[in-house]
Amino acid sequence: MVLAIDWHRLKILKVRPDSLAFRLTAAATLWIGVVLLAAAFGLTALFRNAVEASFDTNLDVILDSLIASAEVVDDDELVMIRSLGETRFQRAYSGWYWQITALKARDTPLVKAAKPYRSPSLWDSVLLSPVDEGTSFDDTNLSRVDMLGPVDHTIRVLERRLILPETNQYYSFIVAGDRSQIDQEVGKFRGAVLIGLLLLGVGILIALLIQVRFGLRPLEAVREALADIREGREDKLRGEFPSEIRPLAEELNSLLDYTTEMLERSRTHVGNLAHGLKTPLSVLANESRGEESQLADIVSRETANMKDQVEHHLARARMAASARVLGATTDVLPVLERLTHALDKIFSDRALDIDMDCEEALVFRGEAQDLEELVGNLLENACKWGRSEVRIRAAAYSDATDGAALFEFSVEDDGPGLPENERERALKRGERLDEAVPGTGLGLSIVKDLTRLYRGEIILSASELGGLKVTLRLPRVVVSQR
Amino acid sequence: MRLLVVEDDKDLNRQIKSTLEDAGYAVDTAFDGDEGHFLGDTEPYDAVILDLGLPEQDGITVLEKWRREGRNFPVLILTARDRWSEKVAGFDAGADDYVTKPFVTEEVLARIRALLRRAAGHASSELECGALRIDTRSARVTFDGEPIKLTSLEYRLLAYLMHHQEKVISRTELVEHLYDQDFDRDSNTIEVFVGRLRRKIGKDVIETVRGLGYRLASVENSKS
Repeated sequence: MVLAIDWHRLKILKVRPDSLAFRLTAAATLWIGVVLLAAAFGLTALFRNAVEASFDTNLDVILDSLIASAEVVDDDELVMIRSLGETRFQRAYSGWYWQITALKARDTPLVKAAKPYRSPSLWDSVLLSPVDEGTSFDDTNLSRVDMLGPVDHTIRVLERRLILPETNQYYSFIVAGDRSQIDQEVGKFRGAVLIGLLLLGVGILIALLIQVRFGLRPLEAVREALADIREGREDKLRGEFPSEIRPLAEELNSLLDYTTEMLERSRTHVGNLAHGLKTPLSVLANESRGEESQLADIVSRETANMKDQVEHHLARARMAASARVLGATTDVLPVLERLTHALDKIFSDRALDIDMDCEEALVFRGEAQDLEELVGNLLENACKWGRSEVRIRAAAYSDATDGAALFEFSVEDDGPGLPENERERALKRGERLDEAVPGTGLGLSIVKDLTRLYRGEIILSASELGGLKVTLRLPRVVVSQR
Repeated sequence: MRLLVVEDDKDLNRQIKSTLEDAGYAVDTAFDGDEGHFLGDTEPYDAVILDLGLPEQDGITVLEKWRREGRNFPVLILTARDRWSEKVAGFDAGADDYVTKPFVTEEVLARIRALLRRAAGHASSELECGALRIDTRSARVTFDGEPIKLTSLEYRLLAYLMHHQEKVISRTELVEHLYDQDFDRDSNTIEVFVGRLRRKIGKDVIETVRGLGYRLASVENSKS
């Protein structure tokens, strides 16, 4: 089987410290590390024991054969009747030594004894007795200790004291072996164990990452599905989710439904309120116009005032209701077509040439009603001021700094336009709708507030047609192959 | 001229009716959607004033029904809802103009006069001339099935020619139609628009009748 590595997927290896993946991976890594370290220590200790045991056995055997090789002739003359057959005992200071000393009694210290018989490797040094150093005999009449040898390397020393046959004198038999051999072997073993465990650890870690990645993939899918909703590619969480997060997905979907429904309802309420207030206002205004009395004057003035108030506050209420619904998308071209058509009808008394050109397949990330409000207000304004020509353009646009997917929508006219300082003031004035004075033109305020709601941008500039050019930059849905 | 006012508020209905009657129109009134729809369907009105928020059936539904049934009288809608989405829905349903509440009745009168003047001579909503088709409801123009993008004045000029296919239309008449108000009555601009139209739909479609004006020619398939 060919294992295809998806490098893009491997990005998960760079886990963020506040992620689930990090928690899972870090905890397991820590635990695995501790266990593997303990295993390394344990194994090394076991191995050291085994090596030491075999080293001791070996020394034991050598001691036994030393005892067997020694024979006393002429009452107190000690001779080696057999060579030990170990070249290491011949080589000077090899770390391997033997020494036989005649003693007066079993516990006579060696220093008080006669000159010992020694292995050639000892040259002219004398081995110290483990017994004299304070080590007692074990139950096999053996004393054993690690000490510093004649040339400063640690040696293991074994001693037995016994009476040789055919004499009645005690002899101390000492054999010493180079301990560094043990350390060398243990060191080699420890190296091998560490490498092995390290490989094992890395293997387990990779398996762990794959498992975490695999186990958390549904969460990644949820994240992508949410991004789809936010970017407007979907209006619901779709897909199969494991039982742990399925309830979450379902709750989220019903929350989305609920938001949409609430928004719809509050808009209906606002509309109803408007209708309810405006008809009686029309009646009052009309009735008062026919008459000439103080009452008629007051009614006429106050209805005009009320009309302004109602319109102003309805606009505000609508804006509040326009909280952006997640996942709404709107095709731009049909909206522009319908509004151009409507405005052309409204202004059909005027010889206005409305020229609309919109890129195909442009999709606004937001609600149709909001886009219609934006376009309608700008277009109406342009038609009001334009003398003979109004130009509408819409095209995809990508933000230069962060590459955000936007579209640019512009409306320009050949009317009187606005001088530069007036343009700045128009954007600043009534920074928010609720700061604007009731009765002043709401159109641009609505456009500004809606644009802000969509985190868009509004630019006023001079049109090449001679009038004002208003440009909006609004979020766009990238209809692409993801 | 006979008009219909459909408005459920009795006072407002009376006020509109009296303003229109003072201006010399014959006015019928209806107070809900059902009644309004019935009257519009059975009586030959020259224009209708239609409130959108009506009991029984709302104005948009009534308007859509009329248009489906082929009633082509101009319709002025009255609406309290001044969101563009609501206005556009009215135009999509076939409205010709709108007035938002609150309004004074003189405003309605002015709009109705303009509508009646504009509507003179326009009957059908779909017009055809050879391979050229226009839908006056949606302002869509196709030539040989291909959609053609026109600016609003190009469209208005073409629509006027389509409405008077057999006739030769003088430049003065076109100017008067396109420029309702006293505004820049320069007939040279008509030539500019005819030139632009010919580039978009083919030069044979609009014939120049020397000394008289323009006439549409039934061209089957020769966009050049």
